[in-house]
Amino acid sequence: MKPLRIALIVLGGAAAGLAGNAVHPTGLELGRNAFLRQGDEVIPVAEAKVRHERGALFLDARGRMFWEMARIPGSVNLPDEDFDRAFAALEPQLRARFDLVVYCSGYGCEASHKVAERLRDKGIHAAIVEEGFPAWQDAGYPTEQGAPIGFWRRDELGASPAGAPSGNATSSAPAPPA
Amino acid sequence: MIELLRREPVHRVLSLVLGVVFVFASHDKILDPVAFARIVYYYRLLGPNAEIPPFVANAWAVTLPWIELVAGGLLILGTGRDVWRREAAAVCGALLVIFIAAVGYAMAQGIDLRNCGCFSLDGEGRSAGLMLIAGDLGLLAMAAVLALLPPRPAQGKGGAQSPS
Repeated sequence: MKPLRIALIVLGGAAAGLAGNAVHPTGLELGRNAFLRQGDEVIPVAEAKVRHERGALFLDARGRMFWEMARIPGSVNLPDEDFDRAFAALEPQLRARFDLVVYCSGYGCEASHKVAERLRDKGIHAAIVEEGFPAWQDAGYPTEQGAPIGFWRRDELGASPAGAPSGNATSSAPAPPA
Repeated sequence: MIELLRREPVHRVLSLVLGVVFVFASHDKILDPVAFARIVYYYRLLGPNAEIPPFVANAWAVTLPWIELVAGGLLILGTGRDVWRREAAAVCGALLVIFIAAVGYAMAQGIDLRNCGCFSLDGEGRSAGLMLIAGDLGLLAMAAVLALLPPRPAQGKGGAQSPS
């Protein structure tokens, strides 16, 4: 076995890969996060905090269990994995807002990008928190836990009663700073 | 048993099988580098995160499939006659060790990889789990035979003194 040949296979393959990507019509931009889609607005967590204080509505793109365990105060759950059902319940609320912010569990998490894209397809813009919920926690910003009773009920009854008194403060107006 | 594995026809078959698997594995990743990069991110090994810029995972996503293609292509050629067969198998073996470690890491971290990014990049992909690791170990065994037990020159049995 000749080490030089091994090096040639690896380096030759790598060089071909870089060249192939450079000429690829939908190649990867090497310095850019591949989760980013065209039209994504990504904001740092500090900016998210400012918008939160101004009353922006936060959307949690993680699964329901994570949302219940801990979330940004006042955020509503719009999981990527159950998007259509959750969106149907939230649509009037989302369409009434212009200041939406979506987050999930950080850099390795694509859900916020997927949710933002799906919302964009429906004509709704949502900014994405770049480092997601872990950064929010690391910054020492407030969080809240548990399943708001109103949310559970509305969800489990299935059809949301039209004009229901929006369940509770948590899912409608942004909660007062905890 | 070892003697059986050192026979040229055995090496040709193993070379073909391993080569086809690697060329096949490279196909979708080369066609859609963005989709493959996203799967690499899901492993959370190469970032991107606060410390590691996206370049690291992206570079891996762009170069890995072509290394698979070159190594796999050499192995397929190696079915006819030996073209760097041992070295190509060694590269495949090293990649398989990396894959096994990455999947094991993801499982240990509780990361739910719906698609391991092994072959297909869409929702049809295999999820990462013990079955996947078992399959990779099988391929690794094949690569090890090709790389470490080169066939002896055709001669009768008993010549145990041939150099490696």
